[in-house]
Amino acid sequence: MMNKKRLATNPASVPPQSKKRTEEEDVIDEMDEDVFVEETLLLREEEDLLYQDSGLSARLSKWKRPQLSPQFSPHSTSIVFQQLEIDYVIGESHRQLLPQASGPVAILRIFGVTKEGHSVCCHVHGFQPYFYISCPDGMGPDDISRFHQILEGRMRDANRSSKAPRFILRIDLVQKRSIMYYQERKSHAFLKIVVALPTMVASCRGILERGLQIDGLGLKSFTTYESNVLFALRFMIDCKVVGGNWIELPAGQYQKTARSISYCQLEVDCLYTVLISHAPDGEFSKMAPFRILSFDIECAGRKGLFPEPSHDPVIQVANLVTLQGEDRPLIRNVMTLKSCSPIVGVDVMSFDTEREVLLAWRDFIREIDPDIIIGYNICKFDLPYLIERAEALKITEFPILGRIRNSRVRIKDTTFSSRQYGTRESKEVAIEGRVQFDLLQVMQRDYKLSSYSLNSVSAHFLGEQKEDVHHSIISDLQNGNSETRRRLAVYCLKDAYLPQRLLDKLMFIYNYVEMARVTGVPISFLLARGQSIKVLSQLLRKAKEKDLVIPNVKGQGSGQDTFEGATVLEAKSGFYENPIATLDFASLYPSIMMAYNLCYCTLVMPDDIRKFNLLPECVNKSPSGETFVKPTLQKGILPEILEELLAARKRAKADLKEAKDPFERAVLDGRQLALKISANSVYGFTGATVAQLPCLEISSSVTSYGRQMIEHTKRLVEERFKTLGGYKTDAEVIYGDTDSVMVQFGVPTVEEAMALGREAAEYICGTFTKPIKLEFEKVYYPYLLISKKRYAGLLWTNPEKFDKMDTKGIETVRRDNCLLVKNLVNECLHKILIDRDIPGAVQYVKNTISDLLMNRMDLSLLVITKGLTKTGDDYAVKAAHVELAERMRKRDAATAPTVGDRVPYVIIKAAKGAKAYERSEDPIFVLENNIPIDPQYYLENQISKPLLRIFEPILKNASRELLHGSHTRAVSISTPSNSGIMKFAKKQLTCIGCKTPIRNSEQTLCNHCKGREVELYNRTVANVSELEMLFGRLWTECQRCQGSLHQDVLCTSRDCPIFYRRKKAQKDLAEAELQLDRWQF
Amino acid sequence: MDIDAESLSLIQRKQSLYVSQDERFLLGLQKYKGQQYSHIYFFRLYKMREQFRSLINHQHPNLPVHTVLGLEVGKQCIIVGTLYKQMKLKPSVLDEYSKERSAVPLVKPHNFLHPDDHLILEDESGRVKLIGDVVKPSDYVTGVVLAVHGEETSDGDFLVHKIVEAGLPPQIKIPQEAKEDKYVAFVSGLSVGSIKSNPLQIQLLVDLLTGHLGDDKEQNVASQITRIVIAGNSVELQQGLLAGQSLASKDQSKLSEPIKEFDLLLTQLAAAMPVDIMPGPHDPANYSLPQQPLHKCLFPGASAYNTFVSSPNPHSFYLDDVGFLGTSGQNIDDLAKYSEAKEKLDFMERTLRWRHLAPTAPDTLGCYPFTDRDPFVVESCPHVYFVGNQNKYGTQLLKGSEGQLARLISIPRFCETGVAVMLNLRNLECHPLSFSCET
Repeated sequence: MMNKKRLATNPASVPPQSKKRTEEEDVIDEMDEDVFVEETLLLREEEDLLYQDSGLSARLSKWKRPQLSPQFSPHSTSIVFQQLEIDYVIGESHRQLLPQASGPVAILRIFGVTKEGHSVCCHVHGFQPYFYISCPDGMGPDDISRFHQILEGRMRDANRSSKAPRFILRIDLVQKRSIMYYQERKSHAFLKIVVALPTMVASCRGILERGLQIDGLGLKSFTTYESNVLFALRFMIDCKVVGGNWIELPAGQYQKTARSISYCQLEVDCLYTVLISHAPDGEFSKMAPFRILSFDIECAGRKGLFPEPSHDPVIQVANLVTLQGEDRPLIRNVMTLKSCSPIVGVDVMSFDTEREVLLAWRDFIREIDPDIIIGYNICKFDLPYLIERAEALKITEFPILGRIRNSRVRIKDTTFSSRQYGTRESKEVAIEGRVQFDLLQVMQRDYKLSSYSLNSVSAHFLGEQKEDVHHSIISDLQNGNSETRRRLAVYCLKDAYLPQRLLDKLMFIYNYVEMARVTGVPISFLLARGQSIKVLSQLLRKAKEKDLVIPNVKGQGSGQDTFEGATVLEAKSGFYENPIATLDFASLYPSIMMAYNLCYCTLVMPDDIRKFNLLPECVNKSPSGETFVKPTLQKGILPEILEELLAARKRAKADLKEAKDPFERAVLDGRQLALKISANSVYGFTGATVAQLPCLEISSSVTSYGRQMIEHTKRLVEERFKTLGGYKTDAEVIYGDTDSVMVQFGVPTVEEAMALGREAAEYICGTFTKPIKLEFEKVYYPYLLISKKRYAGLLWTNPEKFDKMDTKGIETVRRDNCLLVKNLVNECLHKILIDRDIPGAVQYVKNTISDLLMNRMDLSLLVITKGLTKTGDDYAVKAAHVELAERMRKRDAATAPTVGDRVPYVIIKAAKGAKAYERSEDPIFVLENNIPIDPQYYLENQISKPLLRIFEPILKNASRELLHGSHTRAVSISTPSNSGIMKFAKKQLTCIGCKTPIRNSEQTLCNHCKGREVELYNRTVANVSELEMLFGRLWTECQRCQGSLHQDVLCTSRDCPIFYRRKKAQKDLAEAELQLDRWQF
Repeated sequence: MDIDAESLSLIQRKQSLYVSQDERFLLGLQKYKGQQYSHIYFFRLYKMREQFRSLINHQHPNLPVHTVLGLEVGKQCIIVGTLYKQMKLKPSVLDEYSKERSAVPLVKPHNFLHPDDHLILEDESGRVKLIGDVVKPSDYVTGVVLAVHGEETSDGDFLVHKIVEAGLPPQIKIPQEAKEDKYVAFVSGLSVGSIKSNPLQIQLLVDLLTGHLGDDKEQNVASQITRIVIAGNSVELQQGLLAGQSLASKDQSKLSEPIKEFDLLLTQLAAAMPVDIMPGPHDPANYSLPQQPLHKCLFPGASAYNTFVSSPNPHSFYLDDVGFLGTSGQNIDDLAKYSEAKEKLDFMERTLRWRHLAPTAPDTLGCYPFTDRDPFVVESCPHVYFVGNQNKYGTQLLKGSEGQLARLISIPRFCETGVAVMLNLRNLECHPLSFSCET
């Protein structure tokens, strides 16, 4: 029944080098890949592979999905399920459903879950891949069949190896219109070319684009339309299926699969025409009880090396399974290599060999059958590691993790690059039928953070620090006893638990499912692909309704065509102590596109303006010189999509206000967010030069309108709000950004500024074409404008109390700055804006600089952290952190950072002329050896720029005042204890009071200071007392964080703000006690 | 004065036999060398489990005692472990770093309780959340060792049916009833050098104790005072002066002036009677419990007398076979921040019933990281248990189930109340001594 060959990608025959894929805004290489189901694998050998361990199988069986009701019958029961994943395979066509078809065909597989929690795999038959070309003039029905023959012949030549009986199934003449450019004729003749297999679309497109000889027409090449739409997406569009929606298979219209090939509880076959796709409203906006598996693995690395699957064993796998919508996990377990003491509430399974651990995990996956697999960095690390490790151990039966029986999981290297997200290398592990959701990828996509370690991400979102066990300690714990392995298991479990908590806290399931529903793409596309596929999906759906087709335009050149972007009005920098009103355009770019009907299909080609004889009142000419027709002649598709998105968002927000049920609220909130993001990405789609359908005429028109509006607003404000017009003072526009204008009305109170702001917004709004809307939202008071895109101010939305401090473009979160910069900038802004205390801010800066120079600074504030991405030789330029890693390796290979680690360092004092990269040092090493840091480096390279930026608009001579005042005169440098000349110095006791050397080691004070005994003792003991307090607070905090009182703190998380402080407190205290001891005479 | 000594009957001060029990609170040569706090919890649990074992055998002979790990759903058992109280409002040292500085300054609550707080019981094997109405989170604090009877629920929590009360620790009986009245005076919070303290008031106290006040009758009473215990916060130093790097000479004297003044008072006392001085949170001593004795170099005058005893905090001793145990107040003040009770005396009672002097150490109360013992476990019930530096005077006689008797005394701050406390060794009765000087 299924094709015996796995043509393209049989894992056994695939060449070892993995296929690199460059995904430039996911265009050119976006191709379907036909996977053939291999029947040899379907032999019932699996019974031998499964359940070697009866104890294990008993354990696993209680976590199975709920049993199907015995009344279930395909003739009387409809199946309604929420689909999560759609893909296709090539198989033999279904005899009963499609009696007349033959040969290999594409069969779509929809995986999903019913609301009772049963897993579903639905094979959809009969949907065929196709695309369009425009029909050459004068080609009649007879010519078409001739054309069919020619094309079939060329296809056979091009695909000699293929055994397919037919390539081109049929060619239909249809009436459609291209989406590009305004046309007077409403329809043209197009040819719909239906091919046998999805991959043939690309091959056929190639032939047609290169051109072919046709009798009577000569060599002719064709523009193809909709020829690069992925097959699964094509199916979704044509059947009105959107990502994550509910699908109904009516009773009697589907059959149970005769011989099941998947592990799903319900496996059925049906024709694509019987599917009922439900719009995500009402009952169908809910979420099915998906099973979400969160997991983490631990590997025992060798000393000084990052674990490699070819050498280092997987020692633990922690799993957490949660049903969507429940706040407690269903299952918590951990699989360990060698014995492990029990853990409360956790099923600990210990095994003697690594093979058993891996196979137990595989069986676990199969039994609990997760719909979504989450974790932190699982796509790049955990999953590939498990698979490569199994390969290294020659456990061939391991990688059967998907829902298709005996289908092995494959690893592909992919490079994902897009303008918005930058280039990311990743590994793709395709697990059939299960969605992977790597929280690290999500974080990198959705949030700008200074660090993406699980520790700092959870500190940021969950407000808690995470214990971090260094990978060099992991092997020690593993090699200990069952207690130390238990310690490791607890740690591993926490790492599996945190992704789930992040998922819950940040509502990712709701937000991503809603995004899939709004944009119509499968959930897996959202993470794996760029922005443009989402807009394309909406465009294709809308175009289909209107009988428009979208041409396949090859990426327009190099991506260097640029157009004038959004300019900003010149910033009049300064410190404004009057309220500054801000006028904002609400969703500016979408509204411009709607207001001026900007679209592919309303754009008039320059030559056509005269040809069509368009009246001036029927067109809009944009400031950049493009002409678009008004909606009376042709309503644009993009404006229509935008209107729907914004209307839907309005509705979702209104429903959100009404909704009480927390799950419903989560869905609605996710939806309105998805709608907002989608509306804003439409503009970007037209402007991305290497995207599916770039159209710079549209995007440059949008920005030119935007510029015009900002300038128009500025002019109107400054014309109207004048003393001549009866206002107290002349208004002045001090700054304008992409979609907002800052106005100084010159009034002293927030209330007056708000009244004027409202008046201005209303007045100016009336002069714009609908739906462009200028809103007054907030007042900044006071407002520190540094330069364009850099400002800070207190934000007021009501006259009683400010809402928050708002900053933009100011160093508060840059990751390559030390914490000192962030603290200093924050504190200064706080003092300037909130306390309105400029002298205080200046004093604070001076004190901080003085502390820095006098060596009184907490070292953790000076630590700079950078990720080590490759080894030293691969870096073209010498970098501080790479050099340090090299030096640390020479010192102690076991604890030195390796590729993938983040390297923290401080800059130390060194010989004159030493390069910065030579002066980096490990903070721990610095602490232990009293190595002096280089305050000048921090002063000049870290804090001076951000400080001057803030203070220059406020202070005259800011640089001299802040950076060169008398407070910079006193300098103190600690004496290194183990380096250079100090090795030869002889230590001698000095008087505690005046540092005079003392001969007699019994004494504490010199004769001169004898009288100050009480005072000096007080100070010594006060120092001890302060450090003891700190010591206690720091170490007990770490105990709380690790979640155990009876066990030692092991954590070495250098991302944790108190890590160095804790070390330092320990050391300082020992030193202070020594001083105190000198009094015991 | 020209008075014939013969005509006055010389009043002899009575004496009591003093035996120090402070050894366990002294650090000696122990140093901070990278120890952690897990050991102290370990010893606490070990010691307390020993004590619970016989109790449980006696009270619940049929119930099995399990570790947290050995719990089985629905099976009744007893578990012994250290409490950890999960608190929403507990201040964290991390807040100084990670939180954005908020625009509105945080108002510090006087105590950190929150309705969402819950208790977790931990032993060497693991942790389990305690549920049920029997254990009120507001009554307990982190660090208390508890034995609870209950069962594991299907959610993996432990439903507590009953708390196994340890009750007062065993007590050594006072060998024979003393026949004569002998008094011990307690005072705390003299705060010499603070604006609140009144030198005249303190001098009155000293004069009364040393017998320089009043007529024969009063002097007779004074002569029955055999010891004075000064329970912390004797001086107050200007905090700002200690932080800076170097001091101007006039500031140098500000640091030593209050101590010199106090030394004069101490010298008068020590010349007349035995004096125990304990360090408190404001005294020039270390911060962590047990606070080590104040250095003798601070008191050149008083330390010349052999009646002057500089003791640690907590402080423990026998006086004529009566057992004393007391602190300068930190343990009780910390309990008040992290738990709730009607009165301070209730906190004191709890610490005795928990058989632990300072359960919140090291969690929220600074403490030395002992690796060989937990000195705060109360193994034997004191006859007198005092706590210094409280708001007001209070006392209570506690009776244990095995006939233990314990006199609880909360000693008020003298500088604010002018109250010292007298305890009669004969019958453990106790009364305040109030000084006031209107000007």
